[in-house]
Amino acid sequence: MRAGAHRTSMIILYALGSLLLAWFLIIFFYQYIIAIQKIDKILPVFANPRILSALWISVSSSCITALLSIFFGVPLAYIFAVKNIRYKSLLETLMIDVPQTFPPVAEGIILFMMLGPDSPFGINIAYTYLAIVLAKTFVCTPFVVSFAARKFRETQTTGADITAKTLGASESQVFWTIFVPIAFKDIIAGTALCWARGMGELGGSLIFAGIIPFKTEDIPTFIAVNSSALIPALAATILATTASLLALLSFKAFTKERTTWKGFF
Amino acid sequence: MEGLFLRNITAGYGDYDVLTNLQLEVPARTTLVLLGVSGSGKTTLLKTITGIIKPKKGDIILAGKTITQLPIEQRSISYLPQNYGLFPHLSVAGNIAYGLRVRGVSQEEQKKTVAGLLEFMELSGYENRSVTELSGGQQQRVALARALAVKPKLMLLDEPLSSIDQATKFEVATHLKNLFSNLEIPIILVTHQYEDAQFFGAHVAVMVQGVIEQAGSYDELRAHPKTPFIKKLLIPFTAGIK
Repeated sequence: MRAGAHRTSMIILYALGSLLLAWFLIIFFYQYIIAIQKIDKILPVFANPRILSALWISVSSSCITALLSIFFGVPLAYIFAVKNIRYKSLLETLMIDVPQTFPPVAEGIILFMMLGPDSPFGINIAYTYLAIVLAKTFVCTPFVVSFAARKFRETQTTGADITAKTLGASESQVFWTIFVPIAFKDIIAGTALCWARGMGELGGSLIFAGIIPFKTEDIPTFIAVNSSALIPALAATILATTASLLALLSFKAFTKERTTWKGFF
Repeated sequence: MEGLFLRNITAGYGDYDVLTNLQLEVPARTTLVLLGVSGSGKTTLLKTITGIIKPKKGDIILAGKTITQLPIEQRSISYLPQNYGLFPHLSVAGNIAYGLRVRGVSQEEQKKTVAGLLEFMELSGYENRSVTELSGGQQQRVALARALAVKPKLMLLDEPLSSIDQATKFEVATHLKNLFSNLEIPIILVTHQYEDAQFFGAHVAVMVQGVIEQAGSYDELRAHPKTPFIKKLLIPFTAGIK
């Protein structure tokens, strides 16, 4: 290619990338532009107890989901990364990839049949706060598992675990003093995405937890049922997206600052 | 019975044997250079001695104790991988103290040992530095200090000079040689470069296709190579250039 053709191809490349970025920025900031135009109508809605309750349910259930994801997801990531288990590739696909592409509504239906009024196990938690958490966990935990497993694998390829063992560390000590501290930032990053995904999860909660104001109605379900009344829906959208943005930025700042952690023991 | 003894070791991966009836003796206070080309079985041998691979047959005896079936952490073998295997989340002092920390040694004792090793390795003042900020030679000294902190009964070094740039290689190698001469334990240094064998050369074992083909000093091997392959292995690749 000649110099002119090189230049043109680079201009096209930058233009395509910039267009996509602009489209996303417009979508994100458009809510604030509309909100400023309708500020006198929007402001009182923020004090609406139903919206505040929905926000609390969204934030708290996402936090619980994130904690559960670390509690169960990090050990599973370790097993996937370090242990030789049969059908590992299939299990990882089912655990990490499938939930992220699975229709959340279908997940809600499965949970409803499994743990709803007709549960074969005799456990009925449909239309409860716990149902929201369970529905979110299914789609959110894979972020933690995938981020942690990737870093655990990377750590293993450096041989740090074997070196630690030759220095006298047991497998448990290697996990807590090598794998977890080295993957700390990645676990936090996965948890941040898990939390943010939890804030936006709709399908599973809608079917399994229903929309009961002050009980199981969170921000996404509030927006879904109020989409015809644009002002409350817009207020709820602004609350959810702003909270997610601030949380993700805070996580990033935290992990940038926190560069070293010795681990336990 | 001091030193390391490998008796009829057969080891490999699945049904494939890399080491076949391998015999090796490394007395205490001896640095053995294990020389071989890629694929000769050097890494498998190191993995077998450290315990990463369990041999199918044979015995490993270290300092009078059979360690063949012991887990890695109970073997008292310090292993220095090619990339030194430093822990990036720990400082220089944190790396050196690691083995003591996981063994439950008191903080006071850890500090004392670390200070002594920092001085011994000419790293005083570096204790709080991140290991990622150090040069290759400094990183190697930290890794050696960490390995020595736990008072191992055997030290294994995998290509310790391969990551060192040519300009500082002699300095680092001399430091290693001096250090080894002060240690009471057997040391195995694995390499594929004849220069390393020449430099550390009192005890060299040439490994070919999973067995020790010939052993002796570098000069002996050079003077009386058992096979044409060993002869080729012990001369510089530039030797054929007219």
